[in-house]
Amino acid sequence: MTQDDARWTAVLGGAVVAVVHGFARSSVFAGAALLVPCCVAILPVLAGFGVVGSPWSWTNPWSWAGLVLIAVPVTLALAHPVAAMFRRLILRWTAVPVEAGYRKSPAPVKLATGHWWNGVSYERSLEDARRDQRAQRIREPAYWREVRWVVVAAVTIGVVCAVPGAAVVVAIIVWVSGSPSVVRIGVAVGLLVVGAVTAPWAWRIVLPLVRRWLAPTPQGLSVAELQHQRADLSIAHDAEIRRIERDLHDGAQARLVAVGLDLAAAERLIRTDPDRAEAMLRAARDGTRASLGELRDLVRGVYPPVLVERGLVPAIRAVGLDSPLEVTVTGDDSLRLPSPLAAALYFATCELLANIAKHAGTPDAVVTVDSDPEFVTVTVSDTGSGGATVRPGSGLDGVARRLAAFDAVLDLHSPVGGPTEITVRVPCVSC
Amino acid sequence: MRVVLAEDQFLLREGLVRLLEAFGHEVVAAATTGPETLDALCRHRPDIGVVDVRMPPGNTDDGLRAALAARTEVPGLPILVLSQHVEQLYARELLADGAGGVGYLLKDRVFDGDEFFDSLERVAAGGTALDPTVVAKLLERPGSTSGLATLTERERELLALMAEGLSNAAIARTLHLSEGAVSKYTTSTFDKLGLATDRSTNRRVLAVIAYLDDAGRS
Repeated sequence: MTQDDARWTAVLGGAVVAVVHGFARSSVFAGAALLVPCCVAILPVLAGFGVVGSPWSWTNPWSWAGLVLIAVPVTLALAHPVAAMFRRLILRWTAVPVEAGYRKSPAPVKLATGHWWNGVSYERSLEDARRDQRAQRIREPAYWREVRWVVVAAVTIGVVCAVPGAAVVVAIIVWVSGSPSVVRIGVAVGLLVVGAVTAPWAWRIVLPLVRRWLAPTPQGLSVAELQHQRADLSIAHDAEIRRIERDLHDGAQARLVAVGLDLAAAERLIRTDPDRAEAMLRAARDGTRASLGELRDLVRGVYPPVLVERGLVPAIRAVGLDSPLEVTVTGDDSLRLPSPLAAALYFATCELLANIAKHAGTPDAVVTVDSDPEFVTVTVSDTGSGGATVRPGSGLDGVARRLAAFDAVLDLHSPVGGPTEITVRVPCVSC
Repeated sequence: MRVVLAEDQFLLREGLVRLLEAFGHEVVAAATTGPETLDALCRHRPDIGVVDVRMPPGNTDDGLRAALAARTEVPGLPILVLSQHVEQLYARELLADGAGGVGYLLKDRVFDGDEFFDSLERVAAGGTALDPTVVAKLLERPGSTSGLATLTERERELLALMAEGLSNAAIARTLHLSEGAVSKYTTSTFDKLGLATDRSTNRRVLAVIAYLDDAGRS
């Protein structure tokens, strides 16, 4: 008997909790969904229609026009906060994250051309770039999805989720609005039962509706992703060009000027003071040699000569020979990839090997280059201490972002204690 | 000496021809593409071939491949490879046949006429001339497991200079040692690397290859 009692208590308790929770959630969702319609309805009242008498009438089109004039700006203004509220509530109560799907707007960056790039367009000045960024918001598909959601939510969630709350309110009104009678009590209790039964279920229609109407479509996301990548590439490209410009300007150019000066001086001195002239000629030769050395380093950073001459696998072998690590390289020496992809994979491998040398605490690394008709895969592994992560701004993050333009997937497997294996896989549509 | 020159850039080719002739050498052919180079090297059998790595038609390592092919055709044909950049990878390929008569230098080295012609003559005589840049990269590497690990610091220094192609006398000057001391170190180095005395002509080359092989074990 006591066992049964306990079971019934538990079931009853569970039911009460479900009803209370459901009632609260349904009411909150109904409130969120009806926020915009309520604002639209209340504004005319506040404006004094109640005092002068409502001009509203089915036959008076001007009264609708007034309502539309209020409804449109209210909807546009509240669309984003209301949608954000739904996303937060859904995340809290169902643990389903819903992306807003807005394109990211990075801080505007000045490019080598002197124009500004704001992630979407090139503008002449910083102000223009910022203004355009703000204006872009109205053109966001994500924003219009939110506007649509406000309307959809009002007529679906606004109705269904309001049922439990409305039932209770009506029951109370029925209860207090007259002398108690069997019919009155019966109706009120019936309404309370309706409210209690619908409460745990009503709010559950929100998630499927959110998925259908508010969540971004995969296509929308991939456009946003592409925009992001384009901005990344553009910035990386710009930084690279500026680095080259600086290196040439401070290095080779300056040195060649010095060489020219030495030669001019030597020319003047060659008859009067041959010893000093000779010293200057020697300085000129040293300057030429130094600037050649700098140019060589620069060229290696832009596009390594071995990569041009031999292709990816031998170039990685050459890196291995120059690296402090013992690098074992396997792969097809005759593999030929389009040069941007080869360069991206080459520099990624260099970065990964440098990471191993810096952090892994092991003298050995293994690089494997595989290619089949569908993918090119580069695997870099070591038996070091592991625990590598892709933190924003870290070397690995940089590698992943630069490779993103080739739809590459960077797969990191690095348990603490090792071994670490990093795989970069590029689909051959990029080849 | 009779020289075959392979260089596709006009200015550099003319400059090198003038320089070689100024030092009393005869340029018997000046090739501008990979196939021409192979052909000229095999036909003229020069005392030395001076070859650029990157050449038409592929504009990749056509020159280097022509030089390697020529050495397969004419074993031991002395080749001095000039390049805008030096790679251990290429150095190993050039030295791989163990026949000597191989040089691999940055183009900058021609600035120093005397040193350049020393290298040229050394290679023509069957020795080696590796660019100090390559050798320096080898020296940066941490110690390893093979016979080289047993070398003393002095012996490693000596081997590095040997790799650059310096004679015992030149090594003695550089390290401030007597020639006798250098030859003693040389012998002990050869012993540790297990290079037998009866192949004495190529022991220096073999020592360098052992060095490269060890450094580039992969």
